[in-house]
Amino acid sequence: MGWEERQIRGYPEFVRTAQSYHGRPIFALFCGDKDAEGRSWCPDCVTAEPIVRKELHNLPDESVFIYCLVGDRAYWKDPNNEFRRNLKLTGVPTLLKYGTPQKLVEEECFKSELVRMLFTED
Amino acid sequence: SVQAHKEEENPRKTMEVNGFMPVPDSYDYDLIVIGGGSGGLAAAKEAAKYEKKVMVLDFVVPTPQGSSWGLGGTCVNVGCIPKKLMHQAALLGQALQDSRKFGWQFTEEVKHNWMTMTESVQNYIGSLNWGYRVALRDKKVTYENAYGEFVGPHTIKATNKKGVEKLYTAETFIIATGERPRYLGIPGDKENCITSDDLFSLPYCPGRTLVVGASYVALECAGFLAGLGLDVTVMVRSILLRGFDQDMANRIGEYMKEHGVNFIREFVPIKVERVEEGTPGILKVTAKSTTGDQIIEVECNTMLLAVGRDPCTRKIGLDKVGVNINERTGKIPVNNEEQTNVPYIYAVGDILQDKLELTPVAIQAGRLLVQRLYAGTTTKCDYVNVPTTVFTPLEYGACGYSEETAVEKFGEENIEVYHSHFWPLEWTVPSRDNNKCYAKIICNTQDNERVIGFHVLGPNAGEVTQGFAAAIKCGLTKEQLDSTVGIHPICAEV
Repeated sequence: MGWEERQIRGYPEFVRTAQSYHGRPIFALFCGDKDAEGRSWCPDCVTAEPIVRKELHNLPDESVFIYCLVGDRAYWKDPNNEFRRNLKLTGVPTLLKYGTPQKLVEEECFKSELVRMLFTED
Repeated sequence: SVQAHKEEENPRKTMEVNGFMPVPDSYDYDLIVIGGGSGGLAAAKEAAKYEKKVMVLDFVVPTPQGSSWGLGGTCVNVGCIPKKLMHQAALLGQALQDSRKFGWQFTEEVKHNWMTMTESVQNYIGSLNWGYRVALRDKKVTYENAYGEFVGPHTIKATNKKGVEKLYTAETFIIATGERPRYLGIPGDKENCITSDDLFSLPYCPGRTLVVGASYVALECAGFLAGLGLDVTVMVRSILLRGFDQDMANRIGEYMKEHGVNFIREFVPIKVERVEEGTPGILKVTAKSTTGDQIIEVECNTMLLAVGRDPCTRKIGLDKVGVNINERTGKIPVNNEEQTNVPYIYAVGDILQDKLELTPVAIQAGRLLVQRLYAGTTTKCDYVNVPTTVFTPLEYGACGYSEETAVEKFGEENIEVYHSHFWPLEWTVPSRDNNKCYAKIICNTQDNERVIGFHVLGPNAGEVTQGFAAAIKCGLTKEQLDSTVGIHPICAEV
């Protein structure tokens, strides 16, 4: 069984989704909300998403890729939002391997070499 | 004949057939660094700046207890970093006690949870391991989690944890394999004892601990374990902190004794037996006096050995390439450009003979070496007046000569020592010791009373010492020191 993707929005839904996949490797990409035309308010997220998606075929079997929209710009800028407080996110886009200290933040997500390393190496 | 003709055309093949490794005429890499610790990583990252093709090999042979760790070397994983964090944990415990005198009110008894602390520390270390891997990959440095050893000129074999072997060649090599804790060689030591390699990731609270050794590793670990509320005994063969100023060393020992650390002096363990299984279980340690025939038995939950560290130079094939090592200590002698007796093989860090075993020294040496190799500079690493700090419960910062060494080198009549006790303002209200913090400078009277030794015992000793180290490097004299106005109210103004 290969890998699967879940697309969700907001912190409570993220927590529920991650818990439901407990025991399997979980990778998550956090991006700013998209408008009606599908464009994110976060320009770096717009750049990063296609680069990350191009590397998804490297995901290990049984793993889950959670694509998570965090909220609008005002929500994100609030230093006390749940993503910052509980997941210790410092910027968007963030790509991480859930439950480990392994993550790539902002421009690091533009580098396909690093994305591939996160997906394939221990 | 056809056979002879073929051999002539391919002398390398002939050599291989006969068991000799040929010298390659073109290399896989410009530089291979063996060891991904402080020195190795600094050298590798620097070399990448000059567009060199670099590989780093890093491999941790698991401890007898099964502990292992990621990229970054001793300092990051089982040294300075976790040590300072756990020391901080102990200091915070003290601060909580002091806080009551400053008006903080809390009725519950304050307890310490080993697992919570250890998980946080290991999580931070994990982020550092990952950070190094990102940095190397980003700079296009190849990293292999594999054990490297020389098999012939310019050639190493890398064996990963699955046993897969690969050969690589390079024009230049830097050995930065560091050290591992020494065991005592007594019955039961490997099976029952732990070392600093195990302590910082121990998945259970060590409980009542016997620390064997009198090095800074032993005293720092004993110090924070006691600070966290554990019952700690230190077994010392002879003196404390060999190589450090002995007056300062004794003050550190006295402070620890008065603050709950037991010392057993002039004894060495001769046997360790497990009396009860468990995590941690119970051990019975038999020890013999160094001054007579007395034998004692000590019971503990955990026995931590901190009796020295040995360089990882015996099993990396140095004999295959002719690199000299000190047979007794395992250390590698190098010239003042960190070059071994084999011109294309260099070494940095703790494995060097007669050099300081400190992370910043290894980093500096690694960086400068690579700059000399690839950027045409000539700057050599300055090993003189390197400041250090021992993070015992009462911290000790030092730079330059100890009093003994100064007397030996310059003669007692040419040395003047200025000293003073001090009472940190923060310690007054909670009624903490008023006569323990201490500072001294050693001056050379034949050279304008130049400050050649700086020693301070007190809180934040490291922070205090760093600035004075820069002043000493500039040739600080007593007069200049006296004419510098103090900041008030701080410890360093003394």
